[in-house]
Amino acid sequence: MSMALVVDGLNIRSRQAHLVRHVSFAVERGHSLTILGETGSGKSLVSQAIMGTLAAGLNATGTIVIDGVAGPATTPDRHRLWGRTLATLPQEPWRSLDPTMKAVDQVAEGYRSLSRRNARGVAGDALRHLGLGGAERHYPFMLSGGMAQRVAFAAATAAGANILLVDEPTKGLDIALRDAVVALLRAALAEGRTLVTITHDINVARALGGEVIIMLDGEIVEQGPASTILSAPAHEYTRRLLAAEPAAWPARRPARTDGAAILTAHGLTKRYGHKTLFKDINVVIKAGECRAIVGPSGSGKTSFGDALLGLTPVDAGEVTRAPWIATMRFQKLYQHPTAAFAPRIPLGQALNDLISLHRLDLGRVAPMMAGLRLNPDLLQRRPDQVSGGELQRISLLRLLLLSPAFIFADEPTSQLDPITQQEVMDLLMQHVAEHDTALLLVTHDPAIGANVSGGLPLLPDHGRSLLAASGQN
Amino acid sequence: MRSIASLLGRRVLQALLAALFVSSLCFFMVRFLPGDIAFDIASGRYGQEMTTQAAAAEVRAELGLDKPMAAAWLSSVSALARFDLGRSYTLGKPVWGLIREQLGHTLQLSGLAMLFSLLIGPPIGIIAALRPGGLVDRLNLLGSALLRALPPFATGIILIIIFAASLHWLPAAGHTQRGTIILPALTLALGLAAVSSRVVRSAMIDVARSAYFHFPLTKGLPLSTVVLRHGVRNMAVPVIAHLAMQFVYLIEGAIVVETLFAWPGIGHALSHAVRERDIPLIQGAVLVMAILFVLFNMVIDLVLVALDPRMRAG
Repeated sequence: MSMALVVDGLNIRSRQAHLVRHVSFAVERGHSLTILGETGSGKSLVSQAIMGTLAAGLNATGTIVIDGVAGPATTPDRHRLWGRTLATLPQEPWRSLDPTMKAVDQVAEGYRSLSRRNARGVAGDALRHLGLGGAERHYPFMLSGGMAQRVAFAAATAAGANILLVDEPTKGLDIALRDAVVALLRAALAEGRTLVTITHDINVARALGGEVIIMLDGEIVEQGPASTILSAPAHEYTRRLLAAEPAAWPARRPARTDGAAILTAHGLTKRYGHKTLFKDINVVIKAGECRAIVGPSGSGKTSFGDALLGLTPVDAGEVTRAPWIATMRFQKLYQHPTAAFAPRIPLGQALNDLISLHRLDLGRVAPMMAGLRLNPDLLQRRPDQVSGGELQRISLLRLLLLSPAFIFADEPTSQLDPITQQEVMDLLMQHVAEHDTALLLVTHDPAIGANVSGGLPLLPDHGRSLLAASGQN
Repeated sequence: MRSIASLLGRRVLQALLAALFVSSLCFFMVRFLPGDIAFDIASGRYGQEMTTQAAAAEVRAELGLDKPMAAAWLSSVSALARFDLGRSYTLGKPVWGLIREQLGHTLQLSGLAMLFSLLIGPPIGIIAALRPGGLVDRLNLLGSALLRALPPFATGIILIIIFAASLHWLPAAGHTQRGTIILPALTLALGLAAVSSRVVRSAMIDVARSAYFHFPLTKGLPLSTVVLRHGVRNMAVPVIAHLAMQFVYLIEGAIVVETLFAWPGIGHALSHAVRERDIPLIQGAVLVMAILFVLFNMVIDLVLVALDPRMRAG
């Protein structure tokens, strides 16, 4: 049995903290290892230590054996293995491809031993093998997300690397794209490559099989075959992780559907260029009801919600909001909380500005913070100094201060890891129920959509037309 | 390539519209300036002391300044349509001949200024980008803010004080001596480099931080290859797009700097022509500048299209 990669006694420290503790594992040649854990569990640090891309302030100790060659965890020349022995699949391939270079050339430049012409030929073959025959001469902006992913895969492995290190390959992807990535990784396994995948997505771990490592707070809490660990978890944290999968969420009590209509849209139509995002949609949103739209990226879900709020112009149709409700009480919860806060202003000040602008009651903040399980100290910090889950809860708090009658939540948890995702969704749903707020949730995850709408149809009329109009990859 | 054809077509149309608009604007602005236009022209011709009522009346009659303004404007536009720029009111010579000579001097000065600015700006920008927030970066920020805040005539005077009056290295003004072009070119170049160094710095930092710069490294390519193949090309896009803006600064600067350094270019001529209300010369000079501006932008567009495939799709 020969090992492609052995990590022995890996410790990573910053000046202040011990970030990764005693991590050891081995991956057999041609096998798959998946490291599961939440943000901050240290799983990405492990992958960076293997690649040799740890940030300057971090110190790694221990031994890393790559392809039979042992070396210290920190070495200045790990990059010599890049491409030839070790390869990495970028997180956002459409940003990792040079926008000014044709797909085939970006793959061809990896074949460094070949002449330019031969390299192009081989690169073309590699792309055709991945089903990208027509896209060789395309530039990255002409590729769909899934195609860009395959081009990046071909480019990453062109120099012949057999160990593939993949960090969060499915972060922020919709289900179709996620499945495409998983298929790509399985194909790499089938070709005999060794795969190390870092993810917080249990579905990915399940689909890849092989070995699984569960990390929490810089330590391995559980390790073993995927089939065992993901069906019979021994550690408490693993059990929580599995329970946080949207498909495993407990069913919610259906929201009421007998409220007064607070928002009516009639004949909504929007085009983007030559593409029709949605057409002739009629919808009535009633006080206190919860609806969901499920669909892939680019299907016009966000534009539809924005149109309901009047945040984007429509090409036809009209939206009527109940006149007795202040405009301010129709609110949107954004997908990227970091983009929804001014970056250099402490969070407390951002909230205070809102409170003084709308003459709100400052006294409500403290109990709401407690209700959202937020530590009051967080308000001293800037948006980049809190975690994604905390920031999304603060943006929920900011929005709830306005006593919304209607919330359009646009993929509010797609950037969060599963446990945090469940927590934020639970808090959102709890407030919505307590304050008789109507909710329209946009998500690419059918399980979350079904859970939120409590068995209610997913706004069937426009749900269908949105999906029909979307050009899926 | 249909998009390139439409780009060229758009630019030609733009040049025509700019010609019409700019020459009409000049015409009316000069006509509406306070004071008697015939007096100003006469004093430009014969000198301040020799300007009398009679001389002014003569000028008025000769140039038809007493005709209704609309008729005068129409005849100036129709002359333009025949590519006839007319004769200078004060010098009596054909405007095109005057401008052709001045333009040569101006292009010489602008070209050298651009060259100087490319030698100063981008290298400083690249050094500043190597350590964002470092000493060079902060000095560069301070220097470029100062230089850009100073109007070109102030920069020019400072340079004259240092290099001509104190150090006696270079002549202060004129165009006959050797080296007279250096100070005016440097004055313009400093203003250009003040901004271009910052543009290069940001472009360089953006590219170096981008995923498409890092990813080829993990493919196993050496850093030098990645810099040349993926870095420089992507960095060049915003930098070259910025050159189009710098042209505005060059035109604006040419008028001031040529006057200050007595450089016989089109800007110098323009400032005299305005003082003397030499409408044909003003129109001619401004027209040539406007058309040059459109042409320059067109060249920049074509270079950008060649560099960045996304623009071809537009």
